[in-house]
Amino acid sequence: MLKFRETTMRIVFLIAALASVAAVVLICVFLFAQGLPAMGEVGILDFLLGERWQPLHRETPVFGVLPFILGSIYVTVGAIILGVPIGIFTAIFMAKMCPKSIYGFVKPALNLLAGIPSVVYGFFGMMVVVPILFDTFDMVDGRSMLAASIILGIMILPTVITIAETNLRAVPQELYEGAVALGASHERAVFKVIFPAARSGVMAAVVLGVGRAIGETMAVTMVAGNQPAMRMPYELFRGIRTMTANIVMEMGYSQVGSLHQGALIATGVVLFVFVLIINTLFSMLNKEKNIKDDMKKEAAETAAEPTS
Amino acid sequence: MKKRVSIILVCAFAIIMLAACADEGTTVADPTPAPAAEATPAPAADPTPTPEAPPAEETNPSDESDFDFDRPIAVFTREDGSGTRDAFVDATGVGDDMSVEAGVLTSTGAIRTAVAENELAISYVSVGSLNDEVRAIAIDGVYPSHDTVRDGSFPLSRRFLLAFTEESFADPLVQDFLDFVLSVEGQELLAGSWTPAVANPVAFTPSDLSGSLTISGSTSVAPAMDLLAEAYMALNENVQIDVMSTGTGTGLEQAATGVADIGMASRELREGELENLDYIAMLLDGVAVIVNVENPLQGLTMDQVREIFVTGTLRWSDVVS
Repeated sequence: MLKFRETTMRIVFLIAALASVAAVVLICVFLFAQGLPAMGEVGILDFLLGERWQPLHRETPVFGVLPFILGSIYVTVGAIILGVPIGIFTAIFMAKMCPKSIYGFVKPALNLLAGIPSVVYGFFGMMVVVPILFDTFDMVDGRSMLAASIILGIMILPTVITIAETNLRAVPQELYEGAVALGASHERAVFKVIFPAARSGVMAAVVLGVGRAIGETMAVTMVAGNQPAMRMPYELFRGIRTMTANIVMEMGYSQVGSLHQGALIATGVVLFVFVLIINTLFSMLNKEKNIKDDMKKEAAETAAEPTS
Repeated sequence: MKKRVSIILVCAFAIIMLAACADEGTTVADPTPAPAAEATPAPAADPTPTPEAPPAEETNPSDESDFDFDRPIAVFTREDGSGTRDAFVDATGVGDDMSVEAGVLTSTGAIRTAVAENELAISYVSVGSLNDEVRAIAIDGVYPSHDTVRDGSFPLSRRFLLAFTEESFADPLVQDFLDFVLSVEGQELLAGSWTPAVANPVAFTPSDLSGSLTISGSTSVAPAMDLLAEAYMALNENVQIDVMSTGTGTGLEQAATGVADIGMASRELREGELENLDYIAMLLDGVAVIVNVENPLQGLTMDQVREIFVTGTLRWSDVVS
């Protein structure tokens, strides 16, 4: 009887585990099955490197997603430039320097920031950030690459801070104590010993932040202006359209089974590949960290051997 | 602990409000070189579209207002596939050449907000969606209104159509509902917000039918259709009508494939669509070109409108001499 219950529960857990895997596999199959034929029909190079997107052109529809790929990259890099320094300094502060009383306030505030729906970020961007930028920089319109980068920079903060903080806390206390014993001040020990020791973990936090920024849709669509134009990185004050925005804006108008819909799904494929690369990077960084940890352990063991 | 949290929260709110105030303060910083502005007050630009308004010169003298025309035009457009955009690009001749520099917004509300907040903005909305936030300008000297749309003098007009296949028209319920749409009762119901398309409608007599109808299509037409469906269901208690606002393209496809009984379109049907769909005109609508209320511009010619939307990067002084 016990055996029977044991096996039943085993199967239940297995099914639960398989469900999420099945979801990933199904999404992959759907994306590639629907997106690749369209990509082939347009021509992969024309699709990826095409500079014009006119899916509903009456004579010759063109499907070039290069402006959107660049758009996604630009706003993500912008978000990293704005968000990562703030995030990492916050993480160092929270892990190593923060008085308990302030921590008790900052931590819940961060969790709240993580829980705010992206449409609310978008609304904040539309009503506050966009008008301020418009007035300050004398722009043609406040909806711009800069506005999107600022909003995304705020949105990736919780991700970056939480993971970086966890990794900073995971650094063995002995390293800190050793540094202090050698005469380093608290700050010196944190920045010269603990931070380098946690570097791969902090990089992982940045990579996850990139993942969050590149996949963000709603907030970006609301503040980016959505011009399907080729932009240079320095055209910060001009509007831009990301891959996600392009999909969400046009999905409703594309006819079922049309090349337009296929091209939108193919845009999703490109996005998916980006996320795949980011996740691979993330797991590589984690692996590197694990190897380092192992090496540390070994070193500790060999160091301990002679005395034993 | 609680005390501290509340103090910090109050500080946060204070900072946010300061930021908001600073934003309003900076809007005043507006280089105005025109000294004549002080001598003569700016002409009160009439925000309501009046059909009797004098067909003002297409380009207005700019030196009487403190609006600086030497600044760029912020062009906003609706997304690809929108019925309003299709009607606009067809009527102006912009066609497929809409500038990529035009900001793309996905709803009438978003367009109005963007134009209301940006002095440099120009865009277009359905005449039925005009309000005080924005100002409609004259096209070729004619202001948009129900009257100018009805008599055809406003050049940016379109029709709201109901499309159906022969098979679906064979259904007596579809016929009866279309009769209701074109009847005195139906057209009067809509006259408040739209311009009726039927010159001499006939009275409608309910004929106690039963069944269900699915109507799908343009998001611009759906509000009018909701009103009609409600009134029709009140007359025929055994009829159920579902109105889905899916967009013109989808609605016409659903009508053609039989998924919907009737498709709503906010633009004229194209050749491929006319092969298996018939249609009736339900309403007339104009596409009004709108600018910010601070902008003293009275009107543009159709060519100027086309140039603005095709180029996308013009300055106001390029079109207003």
